[in-house]
Amino acid sequence: MNSIPDLRVILIDDNEIDLMLHEKLITFQQISRTVLSFLNPNKALEFLSSNISLPRIPPTVILLDIQMPEMDGFEFLQAFDTYPQKIKSQCHVIMVSSTLDYGDITRTNANPLVVRLLRKPLLLKELRETVEGIFKDFV
Amino acid sequence: MKENRIRILYIDDEIHNLNAFKASFRRSYEIYTATSAQEGKQLLKEIMVHIIIADQKMPVSTGVEFFNEIKDVLPDPIRILLTGYTDVDDIIDAINKGHIFSYIKKPWDEHELHRTINNAYEIYSTRRQLKEKIAELEKTNDELNRFIYSTSHDLRSPLMSVLGIINLSRLDNSVTDPNGYLNMVETCVLKLDGFIQKIIEYYRNSRLEIEYEKIDFNNLLNDCITVFQPQNTDIRFQTQVDQELEFRGDTFRISVILNNLISNAVKYQKPDETNPMVHLAVKVEPHKATICIRDNGIGILSEHLNNIFKMFFRSKNNNKPGSGIGLYIVKEALNKIGGTINVESKYGEGTQFEITIPNRNEFDT
Repeated sequence: MNSIPDLRVILIDDNEIDLMLHEKLITFQQISRTVLSFLNPNKALEFLSSNISLPRIPPTVILLDIQMPEMDGFEFLQAFDTYPQKIKSQCHVIMVSSTLDYGDITRTNANPLVVRLLRKPLLLKELRETVEGIFKDFV
Repeated sequence: MKENRIRILYIDDEIHNLNAFKASFRRSYEIYTATSAQEGKQLLKEIMVHIIIADQKMPVSTGVEFFNEIKDVLPDPIRILLTGYTDVDDIIDAINKGHIFSYIKKPWDEHELHRTINNAYEIYSTRRQLKEKIAELEKTNDELNRFIYSTSHDLRSPLMSVLGIINLSRLDNSVTDPNGYLNMVETCVLKLDGFIQKIIEYYRNSRLEIEYEKIDFNNLLNDCITVFQPQNTDIRFQTQVDQELEFRGDTFRISVILNNLISNAVKYQKPDETNPMVHLAVKVEPHKATICIRDNGIGILSEHLNNIFKMFFRSKNNNKPGSGIGLYIVKEALNKIGGTINVESKYGEGTQFEITIPNRNEFDT
């Protein structure tokens, strides 16, 4: 489904196994050739802010975990919300979590930066459909 | 000076009253005195007293005025008003504005005043204990919330990783598994996860506030069937919804009840049944909804019928995996929303549950 040639995927999860799993799924489905994995949300923010000087920000899908130590998914979104529109408009956040907590789910659905909440284990079909949904107007 | 001595502030503009009070009570209590409301307030900033006694007739502000002024800042000390005059308006004012505990006439009777002080202190300490208990309970509740939240996450997230790994190994065919061990691992993980989810469901039922919303039973039943049909595609679901009226109820708990009962109807089917079926009927009336869930499954032994709603009870006549918590959750959820449940079952023939749930819709308002 490699319809967006320069699409990149940023993975943010404190669990190394889940990072590996998600990376493999993306490669397997050929969603993107560029996968950047971050165990620490702060490092991902640093990376994104280093993009500000780029002349053109490539379309980006961010798979974001909710429960993480130090900075959780919501805190990441809060920080990311202050970033320039130039970057935000190119980044599409998909939350990926094993949460059953009602509060987490309603907070995720209410967040305008979030495209969708996907349950762990991440299923190939759901991931593919969500990414296709994001870029359906681009094709 | 003992820590647990009763601390009293006595305010009176007549110094000889203060002295007389000290002389009579200093051995029993820790006594502070002030000659005006102003001085009394100053003193209260420094010292935490249990009881405040004030004279009503004082030059600048009266006892009642003083109590009224301090009641928001210092709600805890118990107030006693002393006065030489028995003026009804004063008494009414004292009770309504000053929140006083007792009204004592001057000259005071020493025994009576002792008794009043001790009663006042008892109220003071009871209130304080109650406050401490409430604070303790709030803390425990809060901790329980966080405990459940983090346990549910910390228990589930490694399980979800295991499922992810199994899914991946199937996608890339990297594991040779002629005996189907991965499927067994998956079954066990799903079973454990099911149990964790039940526990969270139980907890949410007991903690979540009840919220009444409009419910369309056709939609609700269809949602349930969509979830359970894949578990056994042979089952024929029949639904019959008789809902002419608006129904309001707690969506979360009603879904929990239906999901658990339908899950059981699907799970406890006879393996050799050629025509397995689950019949769902709903009838909405202005005051209640009656829901009937009937199956032609294995049924329940009559001697077990009394126990099925008990926590962790599992019928021994089936070899199906179960946690013994589903029907307990159903019962608890019904208790929360004021519903009832009845069960009829014939062993080997099937089971029927009938539940009623009050309709919280207010017609004509």
